[in-house]
Amino acid sequence: MPLTFHHHQLDNGLDIIAETNPDSHSIAVGMFVGTGARDEEVTINGVSHFLEHMMFKGSEKYTWEDVNRIFDEMGARYNASTSQEMTAYYANVLPEFTDRAVEHLAHLLRPAIRLGDFTTEKKVILEEIASYLDDPGHRLYEIAMAEHFGTHPLSQSILGSAESVQKLERDQMTQYFTRRYGPGNMVLAATGRVDFPQFIKIAQRFCGSWRRVDAPRHHPQPVHQNRRRTLVDPKLNRQYIMGFTPGPSAQDERRFAARVLSDVIGDSEGSRFYWALVDNAIAEEADFGFYPHDRCGSYYLSLICDPDRTDEAIDIMLRELEKVKHDLTPDEVERAKNKIASSIVLQGEVPLGRMRAIGGQWIYNKEYRSLEQDLATLMAITPQSLQSLMRDFPFDPMTIVELGPRPGKGILIPTSTADTMKSAARATAPAADLWPIT
Amino acid sequence: MPERYYQYTLPNGLTLLGEKMPGMQSAAMTLLVPAGAAVDLQGASGTATVLSDLVLRGAGERDSRQLTDYLDSLGLQRSSSAGVHHTRFTAAALTERVIEALPTYLDIIRHPHLPEPGFQAARDLTLQGLEGIEDEPRQKVLIKLRERYFPWPYGRNTMGDPEDLEALTLRICKSQHQKHYHANGSILAIAGNIDFDSFRREAETLFGDWPAAAEQLDTTAPAPLGVHHVEHPSEQTHIGLAWPSLEEIHPDYYVLRLAMEVLSGGMSGRLFTEVREKRGLVYNVWAGYTSLKGFGSIMGYAGTSNDRAQATLDTFIDEVYRLGEGVTAAELDRAKIGLKAATIMQGESTSSRSGSIAHDFFMRGRIRTLDEIKKGIDDVTLDQVNQFLKTNKPGPFTLVTVGPKPLKTPWSATCSPCT
Repeated sequence: MPLTFHHHQLDNGLDIIAETNPDSHSIAVGMFVGTGARDEEVTINGVSHFLEHMMFKGSEKYTWEDVNRIFDEMGARYNASTSQEMTAYYANVLPEFTDRAVEHLAHLLRPAIRLGDFTTEKKVILEEIASYLDDPGHRLYEIAMAEHFGTHPLSQSILGSAESVQKLERDQMTQYFTRRYGPGNMVLAATGRVDFPQFIKIAQRFCGSWRRVDAPRHHPQPVHQNRRRTLVDPKLNRQYIMGFTPGPSAQDERRFAARVLSDVIGDSEGSRFYWALVDNAIAEEADFGFYPHDRCGSYYLSLICDPDRTDEAIDIMLRELEKVKHDLTPDEVERAKNKIASSIVLQGEVPLGRMRAIGGQWIYNKEYRSLEQDLATLMAITPQSLQSLMRDFPFDPMTIVELGPRPGKGILIPTSTADTMKSAARATAPAADLWPIT
Repeated sequence: MPERYYQYTLPNGLTLLGEKMPGMQSAAMTLLVPAGAAVDLQGASGTATVLSDLVLRGAGERDSRQLTDYLDSLGLQRSSSAGVHHTRFTAAALTERVIEALPTYLDIIRHPHLPEPGFQAARDLTLQGLEGIEDEPRQKVLIKLRERYFPWPYGRNTMGDPEDLEALTLRICKSQHQKHYHANGSILAIAGNIDFDSFRREAETLFGDWPAAAEQLDTTAPAPLGVHHVEHPSEQTHIGLAWPSLEEIHPDYYVLRLAMEVLSGGMSGRLFTEVREKRGLVYNVWAGYTSLKGFGSIMGYAGTSNDRAQATLDTFIDEVYRLGEGVTAAELDRAKIGLKAATIMQGESTSSRSGSIAHDFFMRGRIRTLDEIKKGIDDVTLDQVNQFLKTNKPGPFTLVTVGPKPLKTPWSATCSPCT
């Protein structure tokens, strides 16, 4: 595949990047913003995600009906997502709609935030929060993140609580927008059959007049300690367990090894957790994954099991995490590398997959990495890299939170949880999508 | 057939399908075996799901661990699951790795060990999955809807009933494997930068002597249909709605698909606009075409706070009826470009294509080319859509709700679609 990388910066600081592939049948274009729940004050928690929804409600020029109609007139596959650290807006279109898609994204990113729309959309956000309350995995994810990160900004919920969203005012949102959505804190990324000079021209025309704003982020060092917490919800049938422990950051070279190590330990098939817990049906799911953040990082573990086998399952998991430090084999490292290599190749063949990869990478590191670089870095990883990584990040300290019917010393969750519970987002993909793909 | 598509049926009834996708490094394989949940014995529901796990617990000369390690060493992204008609195995990776895995997939479907401890574990995992669904009302409502809407056994939960699973034995699994993992009716599809002739030679050598078996005649029982409420202490009320429509092979299939795009395609779709954007009633709302062989259907979902559930259902139904009054030219244009673009973009993924060509062959006995699909969409006129909507009124509806309280059915007072 003849992939070529291009970069250009507008005078106002907006980075424009593209990975062009003349063999593609479509283009994917996205605007990535370095902002998310961690950049919110506690009083406006949930504003990043709510604002992401408001972007689709129109600019000075367009109403919300125009916004949706124009995307659909292009036959675009489009969506947006918010995480703790990044908000992204993107569309996948046929090449003939490239100019229009870029123009439309530019309008999207200069929202009018009209009060009537704000009030209606608030109801949708409250429904989204309620929908996550009917999903124990999602509920647990944000509770566990909050517990693990304590007073660090990464503890903040992505959706906010029903209470914080209810209280949020339009002016607070517009102030947040002005503060965070500066061109210096954004990247416009495209992949597929892109004409780069034309792409710059359109971007200059519609984004060139945006005022430069710097949007610094605070980077306090998280303070972690061993924490165990049990939340009792008698309505549930299964026990849900989630844990976090420190790992390398999104900037750390060791992040590639961390990804391989995660697959060795907790891929959904063929991993150590699989053989120790799922193959024998002690747990229905037992995953271990790597979740890099901006200048810090986490591994997470996630377990679903019978309530009365919880202690046994957690013990096995912790034992496996100790064991792998001593008996890692070259074969299992090779297998994990091969599986990851396949997923990199498969993702690379679809413009949308590559666009999300290069856009995210740029927001975190202002760096482009080609598929070949990623594959070469992956293939150079050895069992020794993983062993050294485990000395640096020895799965200690660890936060473990349980949610389920198991009675005990846990904290009882009130039956109606909507007003008191923290809302939750996805456990595996830490981003809340605007529009679930059905 | 254009030269990038291939179709070949072996004397034993196994069909090989291929789509050549130049420029791809990956290939994706879909293997469908006619051993879905529909053929589970009465009183032994869940067998197909248990088997879809159990066959991977050792096959040919490899035990469970060796088998998994080997497939992992090839870097295969894979899955196995039981659907209604078929048990499905998928694998995607670099092209040569997928070809290399073929003999092992032969072992998995023809020579699985089906060990007793593996059986116990596979059954336990299925039971645990069933319990988990009780914690997720959004999933539960769609499972209950299928049970009420489709005739037995097509609507049954592919994971089975807990009582059946408790009573399930390895003997039943072995006998079902022998009866239903057979060549005729099986489909092996591959998409990627492949050489179909060599794939075909390899597959013929491996699968040529896979025996065929007599087709099973299904006994069916009518669907319960109607309105059904499942009480659940959930935050939201989850609404599932289904009504019959055309089969995929019907000449008006593209007309129907485009009409459904107007109802629920994109964010300018009518359901999204009226239920979510204007009224803020929901976060999730959708309706879409679902096809089982012999039953073209529309299924829809909305999830909303309990005190707003009645308004949500009423608005949803209003929009379904309003569609019968016709669509505008602008709406049809958006629907067309939306469906066409989705088709072209799907053509960029080997995994999507191998799944699509296998599905096409099962439904139609042949592969639809991407150009044929585009033409099918282009040829539809506004008159056709509006005439179709005028003569095909929606209903009768099957409604399932999961939540604290049942809802009133808006159609009982004003019309009687259930008659």
